[in-house]
Amino acid sequence: MVFEFFRSSGRSTLQEVEDRLAQMVRDGRAVYDAAMSAVFGGGASKKTKKEVKGTDRGINEAQQEVRKALVLHASVAAPIDVPETLVYMSVVKDAERIGDYAKNIYDLAKYGADFTSAPDLEELEAYRDRVGRLIDEAVAVFEARDISRAKELINTADALLDEYDDHVKAAFASTGPASDAVARALFYRFLKRITAHVMNLMTSIVFPIDRLDYYDEAKDDRMP
Amino acid sequence: MDVGHVASDPGAPASRRRASVKVTLVLVLLYLFLVGVGLLECGIGHLGSGFTDSLFHGVHNPIVGLLVGILATVLVQSSSATTSTIVGLVAAGVLSVSDAVPMVMGANIGTTVTNTIVSLAHLRQSREFELAFSAATMHDFFNLLAVAILLPLELTTHLLSTLARDVAQLLSGGASGGTFDSPIKGAVGWGVGRVETTLEAIAGHATAMGVLALLTGLLLVFVTLTFITKNMRALVANRIERTLNAALRRSGTVGILVGTVVTMAVQSSSITTSMLIPLVASGILVLRNAYPITLGANVGTTITALLAALATGEVDALTIAVTHTLFNIGAIAIIYPSTRLRYLPVTMAEKLAAMALRRKPLALTYTLGVFVVMPLLGILILR
Repeated sequence: MVFEFFRSSGRSTLQEVEDRLAQMVRDGRAVYDAAMSAVFGGGASKKTKKEVKGTDRGINEAQQEVRKALVLHASVAAPIDVPETLVYMSVVKDAERIGDYAKNIYDLAKYGADFTSAPDLEELEAYRDRVGRLIDEAVAVFEARDISRAKELINTADALLDEYDDHVKAAFASTGPASDAVARALFYRFLKRITAHVMNLMTSIVFPIDRLDYYDEAKDDRMP
Repeated sequence: MDVGHVASDPGAPASRRRASVKVTLVLVLLYLFLVGVGLLECGIGHLGSGFTDSLFHGVHNPIVGLLVGILATVLVQSSSATTSTIVGLVAAGVLSVSDAVPMVMGANIGTTVTNTIVSLAHLRQSREFELAFSAATMHDFFNLLAVAILLPLELTTHLLSTLARDVAQLLSGGASGGTFDSPIKGAVGWGVGRVETTLEAIAGHATAMGVLALLTGLLLVFVTLTFITKNMRALVANRIERTLNAALRRSGTVGILVGTVVTMAVQSSSITTSMLIPLVASGILVLRNAYPITLGANVGTTITALLAALATGEVDALTIAVTHTLFNIGAIAIIYPSTRLRYLPVTMAEKLAAMALRRKPLALTYTLGVFVVMPLLGILILR
């Protein structure tokens, strides 16, 4: 353990934290895939349940480890890293929530939601795939610290937020079975939360620290 | 905790260049620090015995010596600076080893004021404050307990200083006289000579020269130590993080070794112990795992005075530096293995913190009382 001091590592703590955050989002994507396979015909099998719960637990542990690493870094390192440390302390919550909301989608399957015979199956599958791609792109952009691609991704995702709201409103107005309306309302609501957390991850590359979590707010409530 | 995979870093060459510059800077600062210690010795030589005798009148009383050590370290907030100055004064022959021993013990107590002040920053958050103040004051209580055991032992048997003299003679190649050949002294002597020549041109007579050399020496010691610590901290921050991270869930000997190595690297026990305060306050590091790291910090911080002593080429100077090291190792050897004594400082610190939590002004009263008022009053009364 003392030899740890003499061991050479090419990576700084913040670089290792960035790697860990990216891995957390990738793990969130794995939970998302498992949850989607459950609501799109696979059902809430024991195997899927184990996969979803296990990966989500790993993400939660990673969140704690990242927070510890950041407090340790803040205690040891020079004040020059304070903004990045605070940004990552906030972003780690977003990285964790992606897996969390994906797990909530899995819970829909557990409660009986199954979209395989839905009349709007194609549209639901299209949203599933778009959000999946959004998560993948967000990881790549975060790792590359690509500001211009991050801005593009934020704009793309921002447009999706309005579409989700329209679908939730439609579910409220639905005259069909309540179980279908509830499943859809929650499905779009969870997709909205996943999208918002992906956008927050992108804001850590683009925005100053005071504007983090900007996309957690509805458009009307956002500070200029 | 491993927070990620290892990948190639495009910024690595620039980072290596920055590190090389910092290493060079630290080496230059270290040389200037040793020149500073040499100038203390040179300045005292010019002032004459009458002046220095009056300056150190009173420190023959070991309690006064102890209190002077506390107060001087509180003022400069660095036991390395105080002990290196003491080493310089012993090398110059104005302080005897026996007079200097209580002073280095006092420096050990005085250095804990820094993390106690750091802990006061948590005053507004009750739970955090209780943990932070416990973490800071367990170091105070350990050092007070160490002095309570080892100072009477030293005064009655001279055990520490006798053992230290044997070690010093061994380190100096068996020198039987007052001096030994030190390659560091030769290199430092050149720098001291250059500064001395410059100061002689400015000062008119021996006393002015002595005062100038003494002030320049003190300034060099304090300023260079500050920047050495700052640069070393930046240079090894990543290594410290990894090491502390690995030690978070470990206690005992490993913690002592971690504290020693980290403190040797940053050349300041205050830096090491102050880094632990927010970790304990936030609950990441438990108090009993932080405790051995603070004990290791006591040992690690003695490296600076040892280095300064090697540059003086005086056996007495090396003896007092080794005494400082043996005092800290001895304190751990006596207190830590005993199941009754080991956690006594932690328990006392927890009790004090619980009291301070109920009456927060007590924290400030304790800090000012132990580190400023009591030493000051003691010196005024006993001197």
